[in-house]
Amino acid sequence: MRVFGSLVMKEIVAFFRSWGLVAVVLYSFTLDIYIAGKGIEMQAKNVSVGYVDETGGGISNKILSRLHAPEFQKPVRFLNQKALYDAIRNREIMVGILFDGDFEKTLERSGRAQLNILIDAISATQSYQALQYLQNILLDFSDLKVPVALKIHKLFNQNARTEWFMALAEMLSVITLLGVILTAAVFVKEKENGTWDLMLLMPVDPKLVILAKSFSQVLILMFGVVLATGLVLFGAFDTPINGSLWAFFLLSFFYSFTSAGIGLFVAAVSRSMLQVAQLAILIMMPLIFLSGAWTPIHAMHPWLQKLSLLSPLRYYIEGSESIFFRGTPFADLWVYFAGVIVLGGALYLYGFRKIGRLF
Amino acid sequence: MKLGVVRAYMLKEFRELLRSRLIVIVYLLPTMIVILFGYGIRMEVTHARTLVIDNDQSKLSRELADGFMHSRYFDTTEAHITEKEALRRIKNARTDILVIIPEGFERRILHGVGTEIGVFVDAAFPIRGETMSNYVKGVVYDAASRLLPEAPEKLVTIDSRNLFNQAMRDEDAIVPGLLGLIMLVAPAILSALLIVKEKEEGTIFNFFSSPVRKSEFLVAKLTPAFLLHSVNIFILFLWATWLFQVPFRGSFALFWFASELYVLVSLGVGLLVSIITRTQIVAIVLTIIITIIPGFLYSGMLMPISSMSGESKIEAHIYPVMYYNHIVYDTFLIGQGLASPKIQLYLLILLLYGIGLVLLGSWLMKKELR
Repeated sequence: MRVFGSLVMKEIVAFFRSWGLVAVVLYSFTLDIYIAGKGIEMQAKNVSVGYVDETGGGISNKILSRLHAPEFQKPVRFLNQKALYDAIRNREIMVGILFDGDFEKTLERSGRAQLNILIDAISATQSYQALQYLQNILLDFSDLKVPVALKIHKLFNQNARTEWFMALAEMLSVITLLGVILTAAVFVKEKENGTWDLMLLMPVDPKLVILAKSFSQVLILMFGVVLATGLVLFGAFDTPINGSLWAFFLLSFFYSFTSAGIGLFVAAVSRSMLQVAQLAILIMMPLIFLSGAWTPIHAMHPWLQKLSLLSPLRYYIEGSESIFFRGTPFADLWVYFAGVIVLGGALYLYGFRKIGRLF
Repeated sequence: MKLGVVRAYMLKEFRELLRSRLIVIVYLLPTMIVILFGYGIRMEVTHARTLVIDNDQSKLSRELADGFMHSRYFDTTEAHITEKEALRRIKNARTDILVIIPEGFERRILHGVGTEIGVFVDAAFPIRGETMSNYVKGVVYDAASRLLPEAPEKLVTIDSRNLFNQAMRDEDAIVPGLLGLIMLVAPAILSALLIVKEKEEGTIFNFFSSPVRKSEFLVAKLTPAFLLHSVNIFILFLWATWLFQVPFRGSFALFWFASELYVLVSLGVGLLVSIITRTQIVAIVLTIIITIIPGFLYSGMLMPISSMSGESKIEAHIYPVMYYNHIVYDTFLIGQGLASPKIQLYLLILLLYGIGLVLLGSWLMKKELR
C-alpha cells in the first residue's frame, strides 16, 4: 500500500512540474467546456429574414410583425427579387419572403393564398426548423379552428436549452481525450527513457505499478470533473440534475479508469510519443463519434450501431444523460456501470499482459 | 537562402516522415474524420421510437395512430400500458416519443367539443426534442385538418423553395463544412509536431549550432507538410463528391486555390503552437483544443453565420474558418464563384491571414536557446 501511495505521489508531482500540461488540463476543464456550451447552438434562433413586398402592405405587415425574437431577426426589406436572391446567395439572409402584387387581392377574393418563400437550405436542420416556425405562424394567422389541442411536454429540458447538453457532452469528450493521452504519456515517457524496464525489475508487482500510475491520472481527471461540474455545469449554465450527483461521480470515476485503460493500451503498442499521438487520435475520434453524443445510436447505420457497443464512452454518455436529465434511479443505471467496467477490465487485462512483463 | 541546404533538409524531413510512419496519419486522419462525421452526424431525425397509447380504440383514434405508423420519421408501436410505465420507458432511454390519445376522443370530436392529446418527448438532446415535437405537430394537424368541420375564412399556405440543397440532405449540409475543420486541424498538428519533435528530442541543437538559416529551416519544415496536405485537398474532394454525393456547382480552380491558402493558414497556426510548447504531448493537445472548437463553431455547419449576434459574430470574423467555409459552400452548393465581391474579399483575407501567420511565426521563432 505504501508503494502504491508513493508511486501515485510521484506521478502527481511529475504532473505539476510540467506547467504546460497543468495549464492545458485546467483550460480544457473550464474554458473549453464553457465555450462549447455557450457557442454551439443548433436550434434555429435569430434567423435572418428578408422580404420583397409588392402589395399595398396591409396583410403583409401583419404577417411580418409576427416574426420576432428569439426565432427571427427583424425582417429586412429588399426592393426587388434579384436583390433578395443575391443576399441569399451571399448567405446574408436565410429566409426570403415574397409578397406578390396580387397576394392580398387573391386572399380577399378567394380566402386562399399562397406565400412564396425562398430558403437557404444549406444548414438543413435550421432551415427546416425556420420553415416550421413560419408554418406555425401562418397557421396561427389563419386562425384555424382545429378541434384537437396538443399538449406537448418536452421532458427533461422544457425550454430546449442546448448549452446544458453541449457542455455535458464536451466535458465527457474532454475526459476521454485527456484520460487517454495523459495516461499513455506517463507510460511511454518511461519506455522512451528506458526506465520502464527498471520499474519492472523492481521487487514490486508490475500490476501494482500499472494500477498506481493509472490511478494518479484518474485522480487528476476526477479533480477536473469536480471542477468542471461545479464551475461550468452548475455555476455558469445552471444545469439541472435530476438524478444523484454521487452516481455521476462514481460513474465518472470508473470511466476515468477505463479511458486510462485505453491510454494503457495505446502505450502498450507504441514505442514513442509520436506514435502515441497518432494512435490516440485514431482511436479517440471513432470513440467520440460512435458514442451517441452527436447522433443517437439507434439512428446510426446498423453496423455502426454494433460497433458502438465497443465504445465505453457510449455507456458513459447515455448514463450521464440519464443521471442529469432523465433522473433515472440508481438501480436502473447498472447497464451503464457494467458496460464501462467490463470494457475497462478487458483493457487492463491486455495492458497487464503486454507491458506488465519483461519477457 | 541556399537552395541546396533547403533541398537536403527537406529530403531528410520526407524520409523521417516515412520512417516514423507519421505519413499514415497524414492521410488516414482526414479521411477518417470525413467518413466518421459524414456518416455519424445526423441532424435529421428518422426512426424516432414512438409509443402510442390509444385509450379510445375508435375509428378516429386508429386513423390518427395510423398517421404515425405510415411515417418514416417514426418507428411506432402501440401498447396498452399505463402512463407511468410508459414514462419509465422514456426515462430508461428506450422510447423517444409517447402519444396518449384520451378516452372519448372520437365522441368529443364528433360533438364538436375540443379534446386534448398528450405528447411526451425526450428532449435530453434538445434539438432532437424540438424536431420530434414538430413532426408530431405535423402529423396531428394533418389528421385534424381532415376532420375540420368547416373551412376557415382565410388560409395562407406556404410554397417554399429550398435553395442550394433542395432535398435538405444532411450530407450536403455537413460534409463541405467538414473540409474547413479538417484542413484546419490536420496541417496544424503536422507542422507543430515536426518542429516540437526536434525540440523534445534535443536534435534542434543541430539546427541551432549549424549555419542553416532560420528561413531555410522553416521552408524545409513547412514545405513537406504543405505538399502532403495539398494532396489531401483532392482526396477530401473525392470523398465529398463521390462517396457522399455532394454536388459541386462552382469552379474547381477557385476551390483548389482557396484550399491551398487555407492549408497555409493552418501551417501558420501549427508554427505558432510549436513556438510556445516544448513537448509533443502538449503541442498535440493544444492544437486540437484551439482548432477543433472554433472549427466547429464558426464553420457555419451547425449555425449559419447570419444567425449569430454579438460576441460570437465578432469571434467568427476573427477565426479564419468562416472565410474558407463561405468559399467552400459556395463552390460546392451555390456556385457564384469569383463573380461575387464577397468571395473576392474573403479570398484576399485568407491570403493575408496565411502570410501574416507564417511571418509572425518566423519572427517569433528564435534560433537560440531560451
